Amino acid sequence: MFFDLIQNTLDGLAMGSSYALLAVGFTLIFGVLRRVNLSYGPAIMFGGYCATWVHLNFQAGLLALAIITIAGAVLAGAYVERLCFAPHRQGSAIAAMVASFALWMQFEEAVTLVMPSHVYDFPAMYDGPPFEFGSLTLRMEALVMLACAVAISYGLHRVLSGSRFGLAVRAVIDSPVAAQLAGIDVPRVLLQVFLLASSIGGLAGYLIVSTHTQITPMLGMWSTLKGLLAMMIGGLGSLPGAVAGGLVLGVLEAHSQWFLGPQSRDLLAFLLLFGLLAVRPYGLWRASSAEAEA
Amino acid sequence: MSEYAIGVFTNIGLISFIALSAYLLLIAGEMSFGQQGFFGVGAYVAGVATAMYGIPLPVAALLAMAAGAAAAFLVGLPTLRLRGLYFAMATLAAAEMLRIVFELIHFQREVEGEPVGPDGTQGFRGIRWVFEAGIEPQDFLAIVWASLALALAMFVIVERSRLGATLRMLGEDPELARSLGIQVERFKLGIAAAAGALAGLGGALYAHHNTYIEPRNFDIMLGVHSLAYALIGGLGTVFGPLLGVLIDIGLLEGSRVFQGYRMIVFGGLVAVLLVFRPRGLLDERFVHRLRHRMFRQT
Amino acid sequence: MTRKDHPLLEVSELVTAYGKIEALKGVNLSVEQGSITCLLGPNGAGKTTLMMTTAGILKPRGGSIRFAGTEIAGRAPHAIVAQGVALVPENRLVFPAMTVIDNLQAGAYQRRDRVETGADLERMFARFPRLKERSAQLAGTLSGGEQQMLAVARALMSRPKLLLMDEPSLGLAPLVVEEIFRIIADLHMDGATIFLVEQNAHMALKVAQHFYLMEQGKVTFSGTPGAMAEDEVIRRAYLGSAKA
Repeated sequence: MFFDLIQNTLDGLAMGSSYALLAVGFTLIFGVLRRVNLSYGPAIMFGGYCATWVHLNFQAGLLALAIITIAGAVLAGAYVERLCFAPHRQGSAIAAMVASFALWMQFEEAVTLVMPSHVYDFPAMYDGPPFEFGSLTLRMEALVMLACAVAISYGLHRVLSGSRFGLAVRAVIDSPVAAQLAGIDVPRVLLQVFLLASSIGGLAGYLIVSTHTQITPMLGMWSTLKGLLAMMIGGLGSLPGAVAGGLVLGVLEAHSQWFLGPQSRDLLAFLLLFGLLAVRPYGLWRASSAEAEA
Repeated sequence: MSEYAIGVFTNIGLISFIALSAYLLLIAGEMSFGQQGFFGVGAYVAGVATAMYGIPLPVAALLAMAAGAAAAFLVGLPTLRLRGLYFAMATLAAAEMLRIVFELIHFQREVEGEPVGPDGTQGFRGIRWVFEAGIEPQDFLAIVWASLALALAMFVIVERSRLGATLRMLGEDPELARSLGIQVERFKLGIAAAAGALAGLGGALYAHHNTYIEPRNFDIMLGVHSLAYALIGGLGTVFGPLLGVLIDIGLLEGSRVFQGYRMIVFGGLVAVLLVFRPRGLLDERFVHRLRHRMFRQT
Repeated sequence: MTRKDHPLLEVSELVTAYGKIEALKGVNLSVEQGSITCLLGPNGAGKTTLMMTTAGILKPRGGSIRFAGTEIAGRAPHAIVAQGVALVPENRLVFPAMTVIDNLQAGAYQRRDRVETGADLERMFARFPRLKERSAQLAGTLSGGEQQMLAVARALMSRPKLLLMDEPSLGLAPLVVEEIFRIIADLHMDGATIFLVEQNAHMALKVAQHFYLMEQGKVTFSGTPGAMAEDEVIRRAYLGSAKA
């Protein structure tokens, strides 16, 4: 029983680190745009299917597949930004959200048109046995995911706090009008952030599909929902919050799956999202402020 | 009319209910991503009533409306004070919860020697009231469109009354409404319940048209489609959402020209249209101009 | 490139509208190189709209804005900053969640000369010692006067040829207002060209060389401080008994 708890927590942290990566990308976009990008996950799925297609038709190494996944997600992200977010920058957040959903439908159909059997095998990152510590096991993929989550969060923190690009991003988050007055090309920064977020999402997507060793079109909705949920738990627009939110969500899911089964796990996750929105719309750790425009 | 055409037109009618439900909230200034949940509640309640307890469809449809309204009221209670995106996400979460609840429900009873009722992810088969009552497909089509016409008539009446003006004011300027002494929260709860009832009615008819429902029918895809219908059709008139449904199901799906590409075409259409006409084809300005012109000619 | 007989900023027939409502209905005015020019007018006259249009935040519907001989009307804000125009906006608009020093760095965003930028940073701290004391503090925690100084310093960090200031004294205590105007006078002594929107006509009279009056989206008076003080209507409205 005790070991089960620890094992679940470990598994949850591993899964949670992929949620954390998803949430970091989601949060970056939400932070600068104050817009929800429903196509975030579908763009990742698109990247994953690009890699799967290459894998099926050519001999490609693992690194190449990872790069293709990321490149596909970035390409799809650019398309989403140009069509859904750039035109609605001054307009309605809701129109942008619905437009991003419209593109979701496009991605899903485009993918199933080219690859009609929906579920495909995806090469595993690592074939060897899991590490064992006494009766606890830890998969190699879990370690890679955890390492990536830590490295990306730290790297992003360094970029945001120490570079010229980071200064511009923080300025846009803080006050878009003041950023324009300071001479920052805001539309360009927004596009750059979008692409950066898509690439982080793409990396998360690669790690997830290579851990599951298969890909389905459900990856799109799944990634959007997990990213959204982890971001909500962590407090909208806060990057450390997104990482924490992802880990909390992962651990919570691992335990609830163990005790209640997969459907109740999902039910609990949505209940959490609903409850958070109803009670603390700005996240668990944020007291108030952070007014989000409608 | 061919069987295929009857099917397409019945579908257009059925989906119009949920599009209208989304539209009602949109003109009151709220964007719900969760009307599919209430559509599902209506479908399940009506299915249980007719298939398991032998209640006639008209009564079952009323029950479905009541259940849809009640569910929408309960969801609206803690969420309607949220703004824009937050409300959208909260309603999405609520609808997904409802969908998972449908997956968890195993509630069956023997009817004529066979187990009937919702069976989790296996769905709910044998909602055959329409068939057993000897109603032909074209008769059911007439029933659907008559119900829809009734709903549309109510919309038209409401929109011309003071209630309609209040509704639009709520969407355009809630602060103004508040300053005029309107109890915004309470009013919006009423609207949410009405929208829930409308979705519930649509769901009831939908279940009886298909005779089989499953939780997947009521996922986020349905919800966002209904929003998209209202948004591309236009928020200026109640016929906007209908136009949206007609474009997608009638033109794109019904004509079979875009078979296999329908989502790509429809998705692109929605995204591009939102850039140029963020409030749809039949938006307020268009409707205003149209009324003006007709008024001058008569 | 700039011919001497051309004003640094020349606004002609400028129209800016919010939907159907025109806030600027054909504005004509100019700002001479090296001057302090002040724009007076009641609330809602369109002063802030003019400033925001000049800075590129609002897009004009018609007319032209020529800066140093180049047309800048309708261009992107960052391109206008690159031309050498910086706006100190109404209500200051600092970056509240960023430190004072990051606010200043953001002001120098377009500059690639790191050494010179660093030197300018020191110059700002010398001019505004209060900002130096609080350089690591978040801008949102500063007092109103300190935020105003930060907004001015941030604008100066881009080394503008023309400094636009939108009501820098708004909501500040009298002593702070005096300090702000001392800074404006100092900047002018150092050769800056300043176009100032101000409600406080008494303070503006002490520093400005030219005045414009704007009412309901149009310029209704143009003249020197002397001419302004002689105009009966203006004197009563802006220099009257409100505050001697």
